[in-house]
Amino acid sequence: MATKSIGSEYLKGLWDENPVFRQLLGMCPTLAVTGTVITGIAMGLATTFVLILSSIVVASIKKLIPAQVRIASYIVVIASFVTIADQVLKAYFYPISEALGPYVPLIVVNCIILGRQEAFASKNSIGRSFVDALGMSSGFVLALLILSSVREILGAGTFLGYQVMGAWFKPWIIMILPAGAFITLGILLGIALLIESKTKRS
Amino acid sequence: MNLSARMIIVLTTVGLISGGFLAGVAKLTKEKIALNIQAEIEEAIQEVVAGAEINQVLHEEDDLVIYKETKGDGELVGFALQATGVGFQDKITLMFGLDAPLKNITGLTIISQSETPGLGAKIEDWDAFLQFWQNRDATGPLTLRKPPARTAEDLSRSEINTITAATISSQKVLGIVNFSIERLRQLIQQGTIAVEEKDGN
Repeated sequence: MATKSIGSEYLKGLWDENPVFRQLLGMCPTLAVTGTVITGIAMGLATTFVLILSSIVVASIKKLIPAQVRIASYIVVIASFVTIADQVLKAYFYPISEALGPYVPLIVVNCIILGRQEAFASKNSIGRSFVDALGMSSGFVLALLILSSVREILGAGTFLGYQVMGAWFKPWIIMILPAGAFITLGILLGIALLIESKTKRS
Repeated sequence: MNLSARMIIVLTTVGLISGGFLAGVAKLTKEKIALNIQAEIEEAIQEVVAGAEINQVLHEEDDLVIYKETKGDGELVGFALQATGVGFQDKITLMFGLDAPLKNITGLTIISQSETPGLGAKIEDWDAFLQFWQNRDATGPLTLRKPPARTAEDLSRSEINTITAATISSQKVLGIVNFSIERLRQLIQQGTIAVEEKDGN
């Protein structure tokens, strides 16, 4: 692990180990809040905040925690940051917090976060854990951005609330319904696999 | 130190530190969050009762809050009712206004809902739904017009247009409003709340 350069530690989160497209983690928020771009980005940033800070804290206290209670301790750390994110959103970004509804508190059980603590932050230095968390978060934000853009443009004809499709365009309502999330995710995963297989062969 | 003692100490410490942090954050944000909710309610009242300047809570129960709306000089302009009821998927919270003699509904707005996007969620849409709530008859229960009339003028004053493909959501909103008005009448009859100028038309 330690042989990897810092740069590739970051980049792996964007593509090779992208949490959504490659690891299929964090599907609940990925499917649930990508109906509009703004909620997708907000969820991505809230998750970024929680993931980076939890990774730093877990990496700094990893030696003090007995292995038997590590998961419980990680969850307490994660839940604390999630609660902070939730309160701050409610206080300063009220409309977004309303739109995200129960999905902000649910970041606690987002597998990306606990997964990174268990697989990375608990075994690596603070600096590396920070870079890893940053890379994973960027990959997650990127995935949510792509998914929510496709869904909002096709499902409502808008991007970030601005009309981008002409008057001729009839919104595909299914794209902003749960079924649209699965369809879009499935197609994007297929594209990701196709790119993967093409680049491996060459 | 044996393992159990270490586990207990570590978990307690982690819990205490995070608890302390959260208490601090809650203290910092509590006031602002309360203000946001307050602002949302006031904005909703403004939308449904024209000219309301002072909101006074007349009555509060689980799913219904009744506000008395007056102008700055104390003149009664109407009542705002904030009501919550079950929708198609989740609870719907809405605010609607009644004029001073309790004869007309002045308007309705949705505070929160999680109906199906693109279908039931149109209960928030002005053109599809909210416009029909202006100036409705509040003396008897409202009914749904299905299939919907083309324009607001085609409706009788006790009718609300159904949203195409979202009959249940439309019905639920109607039900919440009918129920709340009924409950308000009941409260007045019981003498729980006093309403002045009942014959002020």
